[in-house]
Amino acid sequence: MPDLDSGHIFLTTMAPIKPGAPADNPQSSYEQRVRIALAKFPTANQSPATVDDRYNSPFARNLRNHLARMFVLNDAIYNGRITQNPLLARLQGNNQAVPQPVDRLNAAYLVFCADVDAIENDGDPLPTTLSEGQQKAVRASYARKLWATMEEELRDVYSNCYGFEGVNSAGDFATYLDRCHVETTMPFHDYYLELDSAKFNDLPVKPLAIGVLAPLALGLVALVLWLLGAEHVPLLGWSTLPTWIVAIALGVVLSYLAIRYAIANGEKPLAPAKYDDLPSVLKALYTQQKFADFFIENQGLPPDQLHAAFGAFMAEHDPQNRQAMTQKPGVISSAGPENVTLKDAAPT
Amino acid sequence: MTRTLNLNDIQGNVTRAYGRYSFPFARYIFFHFPTPLAGRGFIETVRQKVTTAARWPDKASRPKCTTNIALTFPGLLALQLPVRTLQAMPDEFIEGMKQRAFILGDRDQTETEEEAKAQDWDSHWDPIWRKSREPGTLGFGKDDVHVMVTLNAQSESEDAPDTPHAELEARTSWLLGVAEDCGVTHIQGVGAKGDQPYQDASAVFDDVGGTLRPTAKEHFGFTDGIGNPVFEGQLPLEIEADAVIGRGKLMGNGWEPLATGEFILGHPDESQELPPMSRPPEFMRNGTFFAFRKLHENVGSFDAVVNEEAERYAAIMDVPVDEAIETIRAKMCGRWSDGVPLSKVPTYAEWIAFGEAKGWRGDVDPLAAYAANLKYIASPEARDFRYADDMAGLKCPGGAHMRRMNTRDYLDPLNAAGVSDSGAQPENAKATSALNKRRRILRRGLPYGPPNTAHKDDETEQGVIMIIMGASLFRQFEFVQQQWIQYGLDFHQGNNTCPMLGNHEEHKRFTIPSDPKSGKPPYVMSKLKTFVECRGGDYFFAPSMTSLRMMAMGIVDPT
Repeated sequence: MPDLDSGHIFLTTMAPIKPGAPADNPQSSYEQRVRIALAKFPTANQSPATVDDRYNSPFARNLRNHLARMFVLNDAIYNGRITQNPLLARLQGNNQAVPQPVDRLNAAYLVFCADVDAIENDGDPLPTTLSEGQQKAVRASYARKLWATMEEELRDVYSNCYGFEGVNSAGDFATYLDRCHVETTMPFHDYYLELDSAKFNDLPVKPLAIGVLAPLALGLVALVLWLLGAEHVPLLGWSTLPTWIVAIALGVVLSYLAIRYAIANGEKPLAPAKYDDLPSVLKALYTQQKFADFFIENQGLPPDQLHAAFGAFMAEHDPQNRQAMTQKPGVISSAGPENVTLKDAAPT
Repeated sequence: MTRTLNLNDIQGNVTRAYGRYSFPFARYIFFHFPTPLAGRGFIETVRQKVTTAARWPDKASRPKCTTNIALTFPGLLALQLPVRTLQAMPDEFIEGMKQRAFILGDRDQTETEEEAKAQDWDSHWDPIWRKSREPGTLGFGKDDVHVMVTLNAQSESEDAPDTPHAELEARTSWLLGVAEDCGVTHIQGVGAKGDQPYQDASAVFDDVGGTLRPTAKEHFGFTDGIGNPVFEGQLPLEIEADAVIGRGKLMGNGWEPLATGEFILGHPDESQELPPMSRPPEFMRNGTFFAFRKLHENVGSFDAVVNEEAERYAAIMDVPVDEAIETIRAKMCGRWSDGVPLSKVPTYAEWIAFGEAKGWRGDVDPLAAYAANLKYIASPEARDFRYADDMAGLKCPGGAHMRRMNTRDYLDPLNAAGVSDSGAQPENAKATSALNKRRRILRRGLPYGPPNTAHKDDETEQGVIMIIMGASLFRQFEFVQQQWIQYGLDFHQGNNTCPMLGNHEEHKRFTIPSDPKSGKPPYVMSKLKTFVECRGGDYFFAPSMTSLRMMAMGIVDPT
């Protein structure tokens, strides 16, 4: 279930783009129109050119996105012929002068990827595991959130995609996005705050190896003895013929089970890190900046004054409160008051 | 297998720093090729005087004045090299250093290009560099610097160490004569007022026992140029083993020289690849690139900021102000002012005792002290240290200038971190320089400006002519400048820039961690100003002798 890892959903969706162009605008193919719509998305207020911009990225309008990306996938990449040793090809009767078939996509696709908190309601704690149904519900909740916050932009982009005609509500969009959903096979996440090995699904390599190798080794010894004409395994006293047959068979079965176990273990999602949800990340960014200022302003103060100043700091910045006195999404720093969600502005 | 380099084909300034004691003077002279014919003629004559990397059998065979030559991209354009050769030159070399000012932090990174232009952001650059690479001329500006000839000179005699050898002046007039004969323009306009015909540089001289002698310091007073990289084939094997200590890479077998291809094109590099090159291969093989940067040092601001912070530091740490000044300076740099590394001698008291034991501090004859200190900074002892055993920066702060320029084994991803209550840290004995060995730079060049006996402030002209060499300006110099000098994330320093070289218009902080044993909190400097400002320069290609000859003959043929 790599879609879910470390309490985040790593979403991948692919929406096929319509062929051709609208009848009244043959110069702009649907693919071109998707690209135009994407190019018009405002970027986040994070560079000198955009920091004072009126518009922020539409993805900064929700509090779940860690990363979002939309792009047009034209076609599958062609890597050239699958090569083969010419002698082998000759022996197998493969005529290498004949062109091989080339894999192509049936259409251009709009790919939408996102790394989002795996929650259904803002403020929920991040989960470690979710059933297929629960994951679907999380994805639907995220789709509805997007529709509520950036319907206009989504329409601009998706109206050029196949099957979007009937989408007119948040629920429709959630259903549509689910039809486009494909499994993410390689999620990429930020670092753990605490490298606690208990949180990793470490494979018990030694017990697995002993469990597999012990019957195989016994089987091999018994096999050699049987080939040499011995009737019984020394010390154990078992008959060599049934011993080697059963032991080797057991070893093979255990090997298969060990591999299955290792794969299943690898597929288990990792637990979320302690402060891995977006509101915590934003609050951490805010607190880090404010605390650095506090430290510099107060270094060298006598203990009683420092104590009083720290009390005032805690009261003002309220480190436990992730909803207020925190950095807004999509901005570069908490320095300007316009980049901070103040207490009275927080939703109740 | 180590391949012997053809040292007669490589320019001498690539393998040698020339040294501020043997060659304490330098002169950089700039020219423009009005026609390809003039340019070819000039290169043909000058190349026959170029100092190669061939080894000097003894001290007496050292030239009194060395000569080296390098070209900008407009220079290659002016020579009308084939398009196929030119189009495969690296992007950053084609664009030039001024165009890269944003990523280098040479202009305020909080401003857009338009805002910076409206404020005439390069108004403090020397006129020669303001006029070169004129916008809109596509590399064909009439004032473009095309070629730079570098002269490095010995002193006139041992009795007159602060006078350049007469050969410097003789070589200069010869060169200007060659230019005139060939029809090549001598481009002037060096200095804040543009009234200097060429860029002069010299070691910072100081009064040692009544005589002005070259020091190993730059104008802030720090000892500089100790840890230049060493690469395969650069040095004779008999001295390589010592020279490589603290200057090579750590990959599990002790100190080893870096791969030749990190610094000289046409040889395998640290990724076990050949660096990308234009055609024909002989055009770039045995050559390299460098950034020529005139870095002005605001000596007045530096002293004022350090003194102000030292007052506060002294009060908080309960130490005398003199000790606070020395400590803050050392923590910013990574070495004490006499070149002793913090990583080996971390505290003030130890440092005082170290200088006394080594014979350059206390009641010593000034000349003997001078000699003892120079001997120490040339020794492996001054370079043989690591950072992986000090992940928290208790000895040498994580954001210190030296840790940023050459991260040594600090960035090994398997390093363990943490500090016990007693101040102990993990040893990380197996740490390697894996994430450092592709980011090394050769530092050439010399300071410029008056001796220490003269008054210096922000307005007087002094600084360092930095020549930063490597096979890829983008991967080596620009990466170090952008990510390690002007940003701090790799060192857990957030947006904080290098305390000495960084742009401090926005980010003015530098953290000095404190050993838990001391019972003192860390100290954060918060009033840094931009102490070092670029005043101009460009990216140059230093061709091999073969390449110079091909250009001179007009037979660079990429087919």
